[in-house]
Amino acid sequence: MKTNKLISSFAAAAVIIGTASAASNKVEWAEITPELGFLEQAPSGLLSLKRLEEILKVGEALFVAKFTTGDGAGRPAATQAIDPTKVRHQPTEPFARLSGPDSLACSSCHNDPLPGGAGGFVTNVFVSEGFTNANFDTSDPQFSNERGTNHLFGAGLIELLAREMSADLAAIRSGALRLARQKSEPVKVALESKGVSFGALTVLPDGLVDLSKIDGIDTDLVIRPFSQKGVMTSLRQFTINAMNHHHGMQATERFGSRWTGENDFDEDGHFDEMTPGDISALVAWQATLPAPTIQTPASNAWKQAARTGAELFNDWSCNACHRQSLPLKSLVFSDPGPYDAAGTLDNKQVRASAEYDLNLMEWAQNLPKDEQGQILVPLFGDLKRHKITDRRIATLGNELLSQRFVGRDVFMTSELWGVGSTAPYGHRNDFTTLDSVILAHGGAARKSRDSYEAATEGQRSALIAYLKTLVIEK
Amino acid sequence: MNRLFKLTVGCLALGACLGNTTAAAQKFLFDVPHMQEQAVTAGLIHTYDGPWEFFVGGGVASFDCNGDRMPDLFLAGGSNPAQLFINRSLVAGELKFEKTSIGLSDRDASRVLGAYPIDIDSDSHMDLVVLRLGENIILNGKGNCQFTKANRTFAFDGGNAWSTGFAAAWEKAANYPTLAIGNYVDRSAPGSPWGTCEANVLHRPMESGQLNYSQPYLLQPGYCSLSMMFTDWNKSGIPSLRITNDRQYYRGGQEQLWRIPAGSTPRLFSRSQGWKPLRIWGMGIAEADLNQDGYPEYALSSMGDTMLQTLDPDAEGERPTYRDAAFEKKMTAHRPYIGTDLKPSTGWHTQFADFNNDTRLDLFIAKGNVEAMPDFAAYDPDNLLMGDANQKFHEQGDKAGINLDRRGRGAAIADFNADGMLDMVVVNRKGPASLFRNHGAKTDWGHRPMGNWLAIELNNGKVNTFGVGAKITIKTGNVTQSRMVQIGGGHASGQAGFIHVGLGVAERAKIRVQWPDGDWSHEYRVFANNFVQIPRGKPDALYWYPQPSNP
Repeated sequence: MKTNKLISSFAAAAVIIGTASAASNKVEWAEITPELGFLEQAPSGLLSLKRLEEILKVGEALFVAKFTTGDGAGRPAATQAIDPTKVRHQPTEPFARLSGPDSLACSSCHNDPLPGGAGGFVTNVFVSEGFTNANFDTSDPQFSNERGTNHLFGAGLIELLAREMSADLAAIRSGALRLARQKSEPVKVALESKGVSFGALTVLPDGLVDLSKIDGIDTDLVIRPFSQKGVMTSLRQFTINAMNHHHGMQATERFGSRWTGENDFDEDGHFDEMTPGDISALVAWQATLPAPTIQTPASNAWKQAARTGAELFNDWSCNACHRQSLPLKSLVFSDPGPYDAAGTLDNKQVRASAEYDLNLMEWAQNLPKDEQGQILVPLFGDLKRHKITDRRIATLGNELLSQRFVGRDVFMTSELWGVGSTAPYGHRNDFTTLDSVILAHGGAARKSRDSYEAATEGQRSALIAYLKTLVIEK
Repeated sequence: MNRLFKLTVGCLALGACLGNTTAAAQKFLFDVPHMQEQAVTAGLIHTYDGPWEFFVGGGVASFDCNGDRMPDLFLAGGSNPAQLFINRSLVAGELKFEKTSIGLSDRDASRVLGAYPIDIDSDSHMDLVVLRLGENIILNGKGNCQFTKANRTFAFDGGNAWSTGFAAAWEKAANYPTLAIGNYVDRSAPGSPWGTCEANVLHRPMESGQLNYSQPYLLQPGYCSLSMMFTDWNKSGIPSLRITNDRQYYRGGQEQLWRIPAGSTPRLFSRSQGWKPLRIWGMGIAEADLNQDGYPEYALSSMGDTMLQTLDPDAEGERPTYRDAAFEKKMTAHRPYIGTDLKPSTGWHTQFADFNNDTRLDLFIAKGNVEAMPDFAAYDPDNLLMGDANQKFHEQGDKAGINLDRRGRGAAIADFNADGMLDMVVVNRKGPASLFRNHGAKTDWGHRPMGNWLAIELNNGKVNTFGVGAKITIKTGNVTQSRMVQIGGGHASGQAGFIHVGLGVAERAKIRVQWPDGDWSHEYRVFANNFVQIPRGKPDALYWYPQPSNP
């Protein structure tokens, strides 16, 4: 009875306080993000351009919003970990430059040359698993990996490519399983999608799969195209991670009561901080960001140098990993997508995903196509991980911690589209020039790098001229 | 939703704003699996029945007998013949089973109370120990679900008792397992059934090259065992034999824990060694390390309260002194959770498993009146006690749909259609066996999958290939789970095959194995939602994929 009275009293009090809050939240100058919670449910079905534009407005607003404690920013009781994890010791300060939360807005870091872009050295983030030593306060690499901020332009195309490649590889595995069972003998198959080799599988007749010869991909054969390590499956997953890590804004689809038993896992007094709709809007905005382009230089000298540089790029086999383009069959982006796991909504967790055709975007209509009608996505990458250091050239192996099963000297090929707009370079933003980051390539890229080093000054300059044409248009 | 409304409702629902956890403790916020009963459509038609001797028993063995890694089923029939069903379920589809011949004589297929699968001769074909009223039988698996009776080949004396419990373990450096048989009432003794419990029997393999169980050892006194399991209760690496006994028939008896030192005479742990007498109507045992302290907890089913035995902290891991934690964990399950019958329950098979893949173990208890005992509930639905984030349990049997009006006995919990969600078969006395398909969480538009998962198979090499006695630890973030590979426990029901682990929202996990000989493996890194095999001594895990169309 006492408990009931207490709850009733509190409910009344909450309504009174809430009424005041509601009133104060209605004013134009309220210190909250009004677009938050605007879309409670994730959109579903095929979206018209009009509907998509409505969602994009919300998405952009959330991307540039400076989240406040009134929104639920901060996570006093939760770490930056991807799996919901409670802190062992509550932090004394709401912000922590190293372990986070370290910013109010996505665009605080992703802003060069536009919101959604990259960030300079000052925007570096400190990646740790967030399980032990979550509250590290040193940039000592034994506690975290320091990483530069990547740009997000063309991210929707990247995710679509990754999905098609993951489907290709799964189909190869299924075919091998069928064949091995039919023939009652082991079957070895090459793993290749869109011309990119991911090693080989050996499939035994009883359905066991030997994965020891796969290359540059996770053992479940899912391409995880995001992050410098290639360990994030989707924009949706990355968004949820980043919202918690950098802002302390927790998405219900990972931190909500279904998984944690709490509606306020970070114990900041705000329940269900980010709805599935909020995350969907952010995903849509990022997925529809235009692809970077190849700029035609204004001067003839630059034009000529860039032409030469393009030839050298191929001659030196830079394109072995930085492939100028990969073919994409469909521009229809679905969110939630097919490859996420529980904790990030996927297409099996919802009645129907939202589908939007990137071809609705003007920028997408200008993308080149091949003879089969496939879109040639000019990413300058292969969505594969490579070892990037060797005994002599080891600068890029400057991390001490492996990240999510990926070794410290292995990284996803950086997509070079937009590289002309997003200095500095390297996964830690260590390099002020393209020249210096090229010379830091070792391991799988060593031969190309050596060709560059051995080239004439003019040839090297020509390659830089070419790379400088890969820009994000303002 | 209006943000003010969310704040208010959230506080009321959780009571967290007031520091009041009562409401939170009562409400189960996690996914509840929808378990749809579909035995008839699946072709699993079976009834366990018979007179007084078959009031107990009613077990099922879940194991792969044809090499496709899909769990097949052998069901005890009591006075009806035991039956073997091959799993023909489609991957992630409807459950399908096809009856096949066991190859047993009518005599041997009758009077069966339970069964446990185990690969005794390490030939990678599962064998089956069949518990009977009369001679127990070892069926030697030959592949493709063919078996031969191997009592003579293995020099195994099946006896003539009323056998109701079984457990097996490979003792140190042994090539073959030690088999423990639990026996119930000696019906031929004067004064039977009261005070006439049969001794239990330990069959240790002889040291000679040929498998030979010719010198059984009587574990006396026996107190009418209904379940037993080898368990490493003190992390010594030497499993002891825990036996749960039915106080209905013993005199001066109690629960038992036998020390089984390799190559030496078994000895009961005594009161002076810390063992506290416990007298219950012991029906089934399940083991799990719920608090991850390395020392297992034991759920013991009984009439009335289910017990949860946890090692007393004062025992410091050295003495087997247990206290009951069922009440504090809210898992006593002492009476039916729905209906108007408030008489005590009767519990049988117990088993821990993660039905919703949220990383928290749940507890299934098969329930059902012995026959017509008036002081106990007549309608006594099976329990699904689901674990929460605070290590408390919440009854969700009715929401899950397992609250049938049947008298449950044995059961097996396994992923019959390889969709990553645990299904279940329950053998019922005098009624049809129940087969529940786990569809996932019910929504207003259908079903959605629950948490991430792993299914783990061990390859321990030439001896004890499937790694019975191994401990598997699975780490995701700061969460560590453990699973023991065991043969025994439950109620007359055993299973072999993939070890299932829920991973919640983790999309990858690290696995380490303490092999049966005590050696630890290195760390294996695997991605969620896969069937994986951990091969001893090899650097990488293998993945396994089911055949999409299971012929």
